[in-house]
Amino acid sequence: MSEHKCNCENPLVPGIVEVIDIKDETPDVKSFFVRSIGGGVPFDVMPGQLGMVSLLPVGEGMYSVSWQEEQEYLHFAIKRVGLMTNELHRIEVGHQLGVRGPYGNGFPVEECKGKDMLFIAGGIGLAPLRSFIKYCFKHRQDYGKIQIIYGSRSYADLCFKDELFEKWPQEKDTEVYTTIDNPEEGWDGHVGFVPAYLEEINPAATGKIAVVCGPPVMIKFVLQSLEKMGYTDEQVISTLEMRMKCGIGKCGRCNVGSEYICLDGPVFTLAQLKQLPPEW
Amino acid sequence: MTDITLKIREIATRLLQNGQVDIFMGWEKGQEEYTTRPFFARRVEDVDKLIFNEYSIHNLSNDLLKYRDGQEKIGIVVKGCDSRGIVRLLQDGQIKRERLYIIGVACPGMKDPLQAVKDNSGFFPAATSTELAKKCGDCIEPNPVIYDELIGDKQTPRVGEERFKQVKDIENMSDDQRYQFFEDVFSRCIRCYACRQVCVACNCRTCIFDEMKPQWVGRETSISDNFMYHLVRASHMAGRCIECGECERVCPVNIPLMLINQKLIKDVNKFFGPYEAGMVYIEGAKPPLSSYQENDPDNFL
Amino acid sequence: MQILSKSKIKDALNQLSQNAELFIPLARGEESGFYPWNSYQEGSDRLMLDALNVLLPPKSVVFPQTERMYSFTGNGTAVEIKETFESPQPRIIFGLRGCDAAAIACFDDVFLTMGFVDSFYQARRDNTTIVAHACYQPGDNCFCEAMGINPTEPVNADVIIRDAGDAYIWESKTDKGEKLSAALGSLLENKEAKAPGLQPFKQKANYEGVAEKLKDMFEDPMWEELASTCQTCGICTYVCPSCYCFDIQVKSWGDEGYRFRCYDSCMYSEYTLMAGGHNPRSHEQERFRNRFLHKLQFFSERYGKPLCTGCGRCIVACPVGINIVQIINQVKEADTSVRA
Repeated sequence: MSEHKCNCENPLVPGIVEVIDIKDETPDVKSFFVRSIGGGVPFDVMPGQLGMVSLLPVGEGMYSVSWQEEQEYLHFAIKRVGLMTNELHRIEVGHQLGVRGPYGNGFPVEECKGKDMLFIAGGIGLAPLRSFIKYCFKHRQDYGKIQIIYGSRSYADLCFKDELFEKWPQEKDTEVYTTIDNPEEGWDGHVGFVPAYLEEINPAATGKIAVVCGPPVMIKFVLQSLEKMGYTDEQVISTLEMRMKCGIGKCGRCNVGSEYICLDGPVFTLAQLKQLPPEW
Repeated sequence: MTDITLKIREIATRLLQNGQVDIFMGWEKGQEEYTTRPFFARRVEDVDKLIFNEYSIHNLSNDLLKYRDGQEKIGIVVKGCDSRGIVRLLQDGQIKRERLYIIGVACPGMKDPLQAVKDNSGFFPAATSTELAKKCGDCIEPNPVIYDELIGDKQTPRVGEERFKQVKDIENMSDDQRYQFFEDVFSRCIRCYACRQVCVACNCRTCIFDEMKPQWVGRETSISDNFMYHLVRASHMAGRCIECGECERVCPVNIPLMLINQKLIKDVNKFFGPYEAGMVYIEGAKPPLSSYQENDPDNFL
Repeated sequence: MQILSKSKIKDALNQLSQNAELFIPLARGEESGFYPWNSYQEGSDRLMLDALNVLLPPKSVVFPQTERMYSFTGNGTAVEIKETFESPQPRIIFGLRGCDAAAIACFDDVFLTMGFVDSFYQARRDNTTIVAHACYQPGDNCFCEAMGINPTEPVNADVIIRDAGDAYIWESKTDKGEKLSAALGSLLENKEAKAPGLQPFKQKANYEGVAEKLKDMFEDPMWEELASTCQTCGICTYVCPSCYCFDIQVKSWGDEGYRFRCYDSCMYSEYTLMAGGHNPRSHEQERFRNRFLHKLQFFSERYGKPLCTGCGRCIVACPVGINIVQIINQVKEADTSVRA
């Protein structure tokens, strides 16, 4: 369980941060870079952990921290889907938000050292994986071969394009595979869904950890494919999402069986997931 | 009432056996004599559990909403008010008539199992069960208004001489007295939304009170939010409430919900009437507030 | 042994109310619940101390239906958290039964342990003194014993009172309890009195091994049948002394507002509805199953005890007669070897 490190004593009360930059990733995804007033970050995170972002008069939402850049900023990549995110997408640089955290268990970055990493993401699912991917690149010598398979509805819907197409393929011993659902003019890359593309590429299972995130239906298909390809339950990790309100494992709603996604998750191995009811 | 029970079992057996229905909605016995509760038989072996007694008060038409998106054929036992609930659903386009096989029972008046359970619970100082459930004392139509088969002798309405007496008493209060009355009543509300859940007329897929964009009424149990909840819901019921009284019966803090609904029934009758919701199913017919007539009253404009 | 004569109960309540808000079981009009003693109206309210229990549970004292959390001002570029509304005023819950005391123990586990401490709950709970009322005569719907609770020894109590006929035996258990004893002063007498014996339970619930058994019964067809008449009305979650699911919402106007939390119910359709539209428990049957699994299995996996304390309120209040004891017994008797 993580220590509550937000700059306030009450875990349900946020600290105030300033938005120092906003970037359009796709037509409905924006990256928000936030920093504590006066500098620094409101809390330190490990890859895969979550923060509750609050647009104070409107509402709160739980998002994975896509990256923490030292003490400079926290990066949230947020998709516009509902009430709060609609309003959030209208704010400008300089606006202030509430943020509390860090929540969740994060990725097992230590246990994965020495392994080859296979990251499989769909749509906005790349946002939580990105924190782990960048962590691997930051500590490149601690991890083996890195393969990233990422797909989205269309070219416009691919997130983090500059990293996807320019930075990451340049990294040592790294392969990046991108796919979009339907053919498009100007796209001569792969066309097809992520689970099928995964089976096509057929990355070998030995010595590998597969990390999966995306829409629930995509995760379910990818897990099936990985099983077919010989990955054991211990080799596969996923990060789940449920509706969250308190973020601290008290309000009851984000449970999958007896586990709370905000507290015991969001990261689970397939072995752990199989012990839980398939209700996510 | 054992002969009604036997008749229901006979019909249920026939319908389930020849596949005319997939689900048969009726009642079964609970642990105590008064804890009769809804029961859905799906197999012929279940039919022996079906009973009909003076505690068969639940409005089963509300359960049809669970199956509105499915294809199942449903047999359902309804009393007078319940059958009006079926007309409500048909008029609201919530379920197709062809899927239903309706067994109407002319209702002799029911007792309230919830009241009996509360009396025996040890949670209240005195027993308050009356001979007849409160809602049955206001009954204007105990005979089913829509059915495929009818059981039981024709019953007479139980509503007294003055149908809207309690409503008129409140109308005769001053504005301040009236406000105080309702403030006392609504301050009890714990916003459990049970009244909405058991109401057959409340069949919106996304209820206005669950809507977040925008949020029309907040979730706090402040007096203003409580007032808004009840008054908005009542307005949505105007011209549509079929007076089954389930809302008031299930309320855990005994809010006199039918008082408000009856006020609106009285007003709709006066301004747009005569009109009683759910009395007869005419395809395409709409409740008075869902359609516009040139001669609708507008002296409030 | 100290006793409090029943003839002096109102004086005692008045005395204790001087330095704390005291909540007592009352019947008020057609309601019954825990209400502040200083709102008692002679003539119209009835003291329910000697009744079995009351319909609305005392959880609202430490965990109210609506609780403001913090207020804020500002828009856009200058946002400020103004005030955090923790509520540490002294409170006393007087006369709650073992089932309700055990439910508050469950709340303590939820809100005060496992990673984070809920400061709002802690502020209330730390300053709440519990005077529990030992129970010797189970009601028609009671089954606390089956859920591991001893009604004659309420847990978590600062004082236990026992009905000895014309007086209550007053048994202080903690420092907080001692403070109440001191406040009562001469209203407490030193005298011997005898508590009654525990009468048998009428409800025969058998919970032994049920939590374990439920682990393999997630896909069991019994859930569909059990849930078919459930109206998902949520009354069970409101009258339950141990249900604690809550929602967090905001009320704002112009540049000001406050965030609050309020009761929510796992039975409601939008309970797990995500902004993008995905809802893992969109069917009544799924929510029904989740509620009972939470009560009877998930909570004990997490905290070592069931979330149901056997008070029987849900059995009384359910409009369609769904009975948790029947469900427990049905699971106990289920032959899971056949239904693989």
